[in-house]
Amino acid sequence: MEEQGKPNVTEDATEAFAQELLNEFPSASVEVRENKLGRKRVWIRVDRKEYKALMRHLRALDPEAHYSIGIEQDMGDHLGFTSHLLLTWRGEALSVLVEVRAPKDDPRIDDISEIFPIALQFEREGMEMVGIDFEGAPDKRRLFLPEDFPEGIYPLRLDDKGVSEDMVKNAGHPYYLKGGSKR
Amino acid sequence: MNVMSEFVYPVAGLIGLYAFVSFASLLWEGIDRKLVARMQRRVGPPLIQPFYDFLKMASKETIIPNTANFMFRASPVLALATAIALLAYTPMGFSPILAKKGDVIVFIYLLALISFFKIVGAISSGSPYAKIGAAREATLMVSREPAMMLALFTIMWRLGKLGISKPFSMGVFYVHNIWQIGTPMSMVGAVILLYVFIVWLASEIEAGYFNIPDAEEEIAEGLLVEYSGRYLALLKLTKSLKTYISASLVVAIFFPWGIAGYFGLAGLSADVVNLLFHTLKVFILLFAVMSVFRASTGRLQITKAVNFLWKNVFVAALVGSLLIAMEVIA
Amino acid sequence: MTEKVEYWVKIPFGPIHPGLEEPEKFILTLDGERIINVDVKLGYNLRGIQWIGLRRNYVQIMYLAERMCGICSFSHNHTYTRAVEEAAGIEVPERAEYIRVIVGELERIHSHLLNLGVLAHDIGYDTVLHLTWLAREKVMDTLEAVSGNRVNYSMVTIGGVRRDIDEKRKRIILDAMKYYREVLPQMEDFFLQDPTIEARFRDVAVISRRVAVEQGAVGPTGRGSGLKDDARWSERLGVYPDLGIKPVMPQDVTGERPHGDVFDRAAVRIGEIKQSIELIEHALDQMPDGKIKVFAKDNILVAKLRNLVDGEGIGRYEAPRGELVHYVRGKKGSDKPLRWKPREPTFPNLFAVAKGVIGDQLADFVVAVASIDPCLSCTDRVAVMEDRGRKRVLTERDLIKASIKKTREINPDIRGDPTPVGLGCSR
Repeated sequence: MEEQGKPNVTEDATEAFAQELLNEFPSASVEVRENKLGRKRVWIRVDRKEYKALMRHLRALDPEAHYSIGIEQDMGDHLGFTSHLLLTWRGEALSVLVEVRAPKDDPRIDDISEIFPIALQFEREGMEMVGIDFEGAPDKRRLFLPEDFPEGIYPLRLDDKGVSEDMVKNAGHPYYLKGGSKR
Repeated sequence: MNVMSEFVYPVAGLIGLYAFVSFASLLWEGIDRKLVARMQRRVGPPLIQPFYDFLKMASKETIIPNTANFMFRASPVLALATAIALLAYTPMGFSPILAKKGDVIVFIYLLALISFFKIVGAISSGSPYAKIGAAREATLMVSREPAMMLALFTIMWRLGKLGISKPFSMGVFYVHNIWQIGTPMSMVGAVILLYVFIVWLASEIEAGYFNIPDAEEEIAEGLLVEYSGRYLALLKLTKSLKTYISASLVVAIFFPWGIAGYFGLAGLSADVVNLLFHTLKVFILLFAVMSVFRASTGRLQITKAVNFLWKNVFVAALVGSLLIAMEVIA
Repeated sequence: MTEKVEYWVKIPFGPIHPGLEEPEKFILTLDGERIINVDVKLGYNLRGIQWIGLRRNYVQIMYLAERMCGICSFSHNHTYTRAVEEAAGIEVPERAEYIRVIVGELERIHSHLLNLGVLAHDIGYDTVLHLTWLAREKVMDTLEAVSGNRVNYSMVTIGGVRRDIDEKRKRIILDAMKYYREVLPQMEDFFLQDPTIEARFRDVAVISRRVAVEQGAVGPTGRGSGLKDDARWSERLGVYPDLGIKPVMPQDVTGERPHGDVFDRAAVRIGEIKQSIELIEHALDQMPDGKIKVFAKDNILVAKLRNLVDGEGIGRYEAPRGELVHYVRGKKGSDKPLRWKPREPTFPNLFAVAKGVIGDQLADFVVAVASIDPCLSCTDRVAVMEDRGRKRVLTERDLIKASIKKTREINPDIRGDPTPVGLGCSR
């Protein structure tokens, strides 16, 4: 909530968008960051209870919002799922990132495939790669991994549920850094 | 003596023709590939590449799928046998070896039988792609044959009216030809029928628009998908023979003139010279219908091809036939 | 009493099929020739790139990203670099931005020509295939002259580009552009006027605007369906706004409203080749002098990034196939990222086209898949293979070993050493 110190009247659509979103969802953390090219992005972090409502709100702001990517990741004690959206709002193409987290012992996140149908495929990837459980996803089959891949192993997990040492064949490989899967 | 003229001469002639047509049709395939390659600004394979291909495939291991039944193995042999038998009824610069009254029916029947055996073999392979290919081949066959049959029968009937010893025989074309009818309307009709036969030829040899049953990119060569080794070699040879035979029909109907008469030749030497000249005409016709057509078009969907064959080609055959038959009916 | 019986057949399309360039499996439900349903099965090309990425430093990942795909290698490298630059807060010199534009647009020309050829091949129109690919040779040679490689150009580095474009190379590029200005009208003739192409491409595999939005279609696929989006334009990326970038829509090329079919996608590609030529010429014209990279050496770069990267970064770029996104998250003090995820344009497009072909004929399926220009090796990224009951991650050295073993079985005299050549860097 860094932008609270800034003046309320802004010309910039990104700032205005962040401000309006914050009014709508006061519990979310909304942050505008600018990179060296001058491109601003809105980074939103939202509680998983409000996640679906927020996505629905964003979809209502721009019915043709473009869902670019869903990033599943292991964040230590949490599992995160970040979505990038491209919203056209007041004639500006806004780059919006929505992050939601779930604790590892209860990795449930709401499914948003009824709002953004393509998100389902990223959720399928998230389910198999880090083991997030997307509640209510209509298709829970594996997407990339083969059918005979062992249950309960999530290749991109950084803890002991990841690919373990004995599954890796080339332990003496110069490229392979020992203990790389545990950080 | 009767045995000699009834049995030995025709068989010897057939074997000779088979050897020559196999050579000529494979050579044409080589020429076609080279010409198309030049049109596509490629270097292309050597002229005798089809011979290499044939020999190599014949010496390769033949893989039979588990799901195949015995027709899978029988049908390439039967298809080739049919093609060889067909040579005895094909006009090739002279009256066919077994020219009899009404042999045009046998010709059409045998020509369709080749496709039929290919379809049976493909269905017996158990591959879904081959089945789709077989369905496409059957659909295309029933769409292309009526126009050709209508046109061919009308021409035969009309030429028979000019006075002839063996009506409805393939030898008719070397007694009278279609341009001799003479009336202006029949000239127009003949040109329309030439168009019909050229489209029929293109669809019979599956070039360009009509390369549908064997579409490599869509259904992995369709009918041929499970064939390998010797059987593939036989099927490829059958296809080459069929190309030559189909083109021979069109050449015999529309361009039957021989050159032996100019040299005052007679008997066997006249037939040989006419056969060579006929082969040249076949190559020229195939250059237009096969090479150029193949290089300048892609394939259609099966529905569009069937639509085209019925709505365009069949109607043209109807009009052309009416124009030719007009003054006899009236 | 007449009960309708449906003769539906399920046929596998792939993983290996002559119509697909890369292994991917579609399970088609057919009613005769008509497609009833399409199920996409991914993962035949998984190589564990994200998993490997967790064990590499930022500079090594650049090479990894480049080798995800042979055709859009520059795009992956470039987008990954943008993501790291955003996470680390590095500003790129302006000359480097222009060079990135030039190489990126050259790559776009080569990729689009490749796809147009493949489209023609898939309808059995091989003449167009050979002529398009003949034209493509010129841009490949130009890229080789500029970067030293025909495929993996390795032009981009974090904080700039590796090689400068000097006067000699500039002339080579301008010659190539002159050649394309001559060749392009022929291409337009083939793809916009030819009756065969029109019969096979028009109203085939129509992706409606609604499906395109729902499935997040990007690039020529999305634009062909009427979605006005181009990541270079909407992201205001680098110097692209100065060069006057705008999305190429099908109506700009064909003059008709977008149909969302294969024809429109091909038309957009034709339009983009034209646009790329203009962009390259402008970029060569406007390119200022100056530095081409921030960090002179890679070892300095590795050391700096250890402290600079703290947090997340997103890179967005319009690859030839559509919007490409890379995400990088790192923390201070580590030279390895905590997460690196690429998202390839083929991924959403594949699902969009799987919806689009329903109701079409089987004959259209190959063209439909080719029309999104699928880059399946990009789409699959993680591999864990099974070896005699045990699941293992196979990496490069195992493959080299297996390959050498096989060679020795065939010919025991051949020698080969699986150890990497040279002293190597800090791996």
